[in-house]
Amino acid sequence: MNRSFIQSALLLALLATTATAYPADAPVAPTPVAAAAAETPAATAAPATAEPTTDAAAPVAAPDTRALDEEIQGIKKDVVDLNRDLFVLEEELLFPANTQVAVFLSMDVGAFFALDTVELRVDDKQVSKYLYTPREAEALLKGGVQRLYLGNLRVGGHELVALFTGKGPNGQDYSRGAQLKFEKSVGAKYLELKISDKQHKQQPEFEIKDWE
Amino acid sequence: MQNRRNSLFLLAAGVAALALPAVAAEYRLTGKSAPDFALRSSAGTNIRLSEHRGEVVLLAFFGSRCDQCGDQLAVLSRMFNTYKSAGLVALAVNVDDDQAKAAKFIAAHQASFPMLLDPEKTVARSYRVDNLPMLLLVDRAGVIRYAYRDFHSRDEAGYLAQTRQLLDE
Repeated sequence: MNRSFIQSALLLALLATTATAYPADAPVAPTPVAAAAAETPAATAAPATAEPTTDAAAPVAAPDTRALDEEIQGIKKDVVDLNRDLFVLEEELLFPANTQVAVFLSMDVGAFFALDTVELRVDDKQVSKYLYTPREAEALLKGGVQRLYLGNLRVGGHELVALFTGKGPNGQDYSRGAQLKFEKSVGAKYLELKISDKQHKQQPEFEIKDWE
Repeated sequence: MQNRRNSLFLLAAGVAALALPAVAAEYRLTGKSAPDFALRSSAGTNIRLSEHRGEVVLLAFFGSRCDQCGDQLAVLSRMFNTYKSAGLVALAVNVDDDQAKAAKFIAAHQASFPMLLDPEKTVARSYRVDNLPMLLLVDRAGVIRYAYRDFHSRDEAGYLAQTRQLLDE
């Protein structure tokens, strides 16, 4: 009885210790006081130390600064290159060419349709739902092409359904769907959702193109 | 002996009681990139957070059943009107299930910034909203710098100081 009492007390103490220790692992934002304290010495110390040296060492420091700047630019370029290589490697690993399926979206004219959302379903399973801001819709109208979905599918027959919602010809809510049955073979598959205006019908047109 | 055991127990319980509020006060996303989202506003336009990169964003979560939410929105509205020309953006996310109640609350608390609707709570979940009102201050690089998971009238001074600091960066 006594032992269990002491054990529970120790357990509580242990819990308390871990509870206090845990938040320390998470990044902590500087409190206003801490931030001010951190900034103040730097702000006050910088002119005091920097001023005497700048006058005396100005002619000598200029070439050094240029060399340092070039070095920094070189390192930045290396980081960008490395990041690009990693991105390509990641895409190759996550979406290998033999299973890769990508769906793109483009808009042509758009006088009869203002895009709001696109929902994508592959084999009756929702894979993407994208809400468009006015800025994004404008970019598409200017000729932008968006990669809406990138995923993996097995070789064989599949069905893609796209549901478009937005504002129709008279500014009313408008919703349409487009469907495509396609065969996934060995090699990447690229599909394009294309929204265009059908002038003679005064209606928007939605189609899915298979990039063979 | 009994007294000693009791004191040990009280000491342990006291330490635990002191430690638990500290855990509750910790917001795990502080210092991390604000998760991107796109939501429909009560005015009907869609708004994406990442389109405001380069601006300081006040991101508030509120609900119609929250007593202090209206007061906080009024404070944010004042701040937004003062600092919008300096690059301040305010977005308020409503997390009500009932859209009629949300619309009524929004109509009653007119704000000068977009009121976004998150009935499915996908954005609230990604931001780990556990209390209302909740306010996050996101810097120009899209990093969550400060978090408030409650509102007191005295907080306004803190909001102002931190917002000014982020605008100056």
